[in-house]
Amino acid sequence: MEIANTAPQAGGLSGLLEKVCFTPAGLVGLAVLIVLPLIPPFNQEYLVRWLVQAAFIAALSVAFDFTAGYINIVNFGFCAIMGLGAYTSAILGLRTGLSPWVGIWTGAVTAAALGFVIGLITLRLRGIFAACLAWFFGLALMGLATKMVWLTRGPLGLRAPRLFETSSNVPYYYVILAMLLATYLVTRLLVKTKMGLAFQAIGQNMEAARTSGVNPVYYRIVNFTLSCALAGWLGGFYAHYYGILTPDMMHTSKTVEVLAVAYIGGRGSLWGGAVIAFPFIFAMELVRSSLSSLPGLNLIIYGLLLILVMIYYSGGFAEFYNQHFRKKEARA
Amino acid sequence: MSNNPTVSAVEWFKSAAGLTISLAVIAALAATIDRGPYILVNTVVTGGMLSLVAMGLALVFGVMNIPMFAHGEYFMIGTLVAYYVFTPMNGYIDQHTGTLAAALLPLVAIIVAGLAGGVMGVLTEKLVFSNLRKRSRENWVMNSFLLTVGLSVVLINLHQLIFGTEFKGIVGYWRGAPLSIMDVFISRDRCMAFVLAAVMVTAFWLFMTYTRTGRAIRAVSQDETGALIVGIDLNGILLLTMSMSCALAAFAGASLLFMYPSYPSVGLEPLYMAWFVVILAGLGNVLGAVVGAFIVALLKVLTVEYIGSGWEFVVPSVLIIIILIFKPSGIFGSEVRGILDK
Amino acid sequence: MLLEVKKIDAGYGFLQILRKVSLEIDKGEYVCLVGPNGAGKSTTLKTIAGLIKPMAGEILFEGHPITGLPGNKVARRGISYVSEEMNLFVNMTVQENLYMGAYTVRDKKLQKERLDFVYNLFPRLAERRGQLAGTMSGGERKMLAIGRGMMSSPTLMLVDEPSFGLAPQLTETVFDSLEILRNSGVTIMLVEQNVTKTLEVTDRGYVLENGRIQLAGKSSDLASDPHVRKVFLGV
Repeated sequence: MEIANTAPQAGGLSGLLEKVCFTPAGLVGLAVLIVLPLIPPFNQEYLVRWLVQAAFIAALSVAFDFTAGYINIVNFGFCAIMGLGAYTSAILGLRTGLSPWVGIWTGAVTAAALGFVIGLITLRLRGIFAACLAWFFGLALMGLATKMVWLTRGPLGLRAPRLFETSSNVPYYYVILAMLLATYLVTRLLVKTKMGLAFQAIGQNMEAARTSGVNPVYYRIVNFTLSCALAGWLGGFYAHYYGILTPDMMHTSKTVEVLAVAYIGGRGSLWGGAVIAFPFIFAMELVRSSLSSLPGLNLIIYGLLLILVMIYYSGGFAEFYNQHFRKKEARA
Repeated sequence: MSNNPTVSAVEWFKSAAGLTISLAVIAALAATIDRGPYILVNTVVTGGMLSLVAMGLALVFGVMNIPMFAHGEYFMIGTLVAYYVFTPMNGYIDQHTGTLAAALLPLVAIIVAGLAGGVMGVLTEKLVFSNLRKRSRENWVMNSFLLTVGLSVVLINLHQLIFGTEFKGIVGYWRGAPLSIMDVFISRDRCMAFVLAAVMVTAFWLFMTYTRTGRAIRAVSQDETGALIVGIDLNGILLLTMSMSCALAAFAGASLLFMYPSYPSVGLEPLYMAWFVVILAGLGNVLGAVVGAFIVALLKVLTVEYIGSGWEFVVPSVLIIIILIFKPSGIFGSEVRGILDK
Repeated sequence: MLLEVKKIDAGYGFLQILRKVSLEIDKGEYVCLVGPNGAGKSTTLKTIAGLIKPMAGEILFEGHPITGLPGNKVARRGISYVSEEMNLFVNMTVQENLYMGAYTVRDKKLQKERLDFVYNLFPRLAERRGQLAGTMSGGERKMLAIGRGMMSSPTLMLVDEPSFGLAPQLTETVFDSLEILRNSGVTIMLVEQNVTKTLEVTDRGYVLENGRIQLAGKSSDLASDPHVRKVFLGV
């Protein structure tokens, strides 16, 4: 979707596109996503539900890639932080009657606060240690959500008010699509600034970055906080879409799902995960519903995909696309 | 360096390792006096087995530089193999309780499971990691970590696909009345689990210290190029390391089958715990992992005892996070260079 | 010829450093490879030692091709490489490090003999046999690295910058020990920054610049060569 290294294009439409971080192909993709729930067969409720799910994972993978692909820290507690946002929003909605539309933002704030703390603690540690620490935070959070039954009702599940009083999934789809777009634009615009360069420098070589005057502490915290804030924000949507929260949503395996999409899509691309999430979630759901006699097959496929991508194509779909299509585009 | 034993003992007590160990021992004793000796017994049994899993994890990181996220799945493979080997023997053992065969057959099941884990380790290295190593060593730690994440998903779901999600457990390996130690009755299985863990840890330590191959493994973990220069077959050592560490995990899983029935994600809890241990002790520090295992086991037992079950992930992880803030390389220090970004 | 390097190209990734480097070493010779920083001296040694796979060319050792063999197989053929970074096993004692050097020697008696030989050469190491390699001073580590390289009774020793970062007195010791080694029949290929000293002690030399062999000849001739004098000796 984005144009990163192409030569500046002359004004007009393409200049505008450049500013909003979309290539023509990306824009077409977005247009398709906007009309998709209106055209058969995608206007069936269960397919719209898949679409919502795909857009949700897509948005999470963009926020995840913002940390993993740029400062090279795998936030292994990502979904736990997303869950924190979800629980915050849901609990406030239940206890104080706060509107879910506001609650989503409170979720973002709490998640950001935790992200700030984790960033502060992990800033001295090398990638894998930071990942472990974030993971331990995630495990602790999930443990808390399970055990603080008076607040979260634990495994029984917490009912949260829904965003719309309708059984249709279509309005939810447009909300999450807008959130996906916002997540993408915010992260993309940020990495296009000087800050983005600093993130990449830190991700590649912390010491080199430090000696060239980049303050890794500051940028790591900024990056981590923002990524967590987005996760919490999306978590708020989760709460008010599904209407029920269980600690399971914070499980490491959920993070792994997001991670797989982000990496198969292409690390450091932001858009790769977002693009790949749609066919991916649909394929997974198809496998799951049509081969229900073989439980877990869809997960085996995605595990294998992750392994194959890591071994043979570590740049993921984004690299593949850039190599085979981007050139043609530039030439044309 | 001081040659005065008193001074060095005081120094040791003031070090992070000394402080933590002393505190752990005091806490264990206090809890034992408060609640009874079963605290100590539980800690020792859990810690023994945990040390096998954690040792393997530390080894794989120290030698191969792989932060293994799929280690619990080899524990799961151990439980699975032991279940399928042991269940057919059950009838025979029931009829022949008290015979030598009844005492030895469970061992056969556990050893077969350990070997199966070793074979799986070989397959993993050959099919997965050696391919990655051939293609790129850039950003190795992160890439291999993500590989193990994929591996974990595949193995868990293969189990579900082939063997289903139901609990495949056994009542116990060894029949007979529980043994009484320090006025606590402990089932024979628990006793044996501890004995087996102790034997394995000792054997492993002897192997690493006194054999040519063991020294070669340590050499690779300290300097890969140095190891190549002196003529050590690097790929062979990596293969052996992976196989050994998976075998240890499977062995632990098999020995604990009576507590952890086999199901797809049975490996997650030992994995979390082993990671706690390894981070606490210092990544790659294999002997530290043994001590760390007992400390984490104690933390778990104390948490369950005083705060309630379900908190055993919360309290240890919070404590470990706090320790990491002050001592990022773990309490025993890491053998791996550059934990902090230099 | 003990070692024949024929037109090798080598480098790291896409970065090519060596271009058609050829050199020969006969049994018992003491040969040096000198050149400015970044000329590819270490790369040459690493390629011979099997730590880098050459992109093109051939390496023969005792008449057999060893091109592209992994480092451990090269070591087993009798080539011992003492790297600039030393690559010691920092959490092992001095003695353990030395025994690791004799990893390919299965005979316990022979191992002990070699150990005594090294301790004889570097009495300092014998004093420190129980100390961890990681806690030693730079000079002692250098000695240990060279000592470890000798443990396998190599036919050919490749020594990279043994005097780098050493006090002058220790440098002498290192050169003396190489001399003793050479007198015991070991062929040595030496890479050094200290060009004056190196050309004094070695038989023959190669001059490497920008990844190419520029000059070759007797060390005494090289020492008086105007180009060498200008570039390296600043005269």
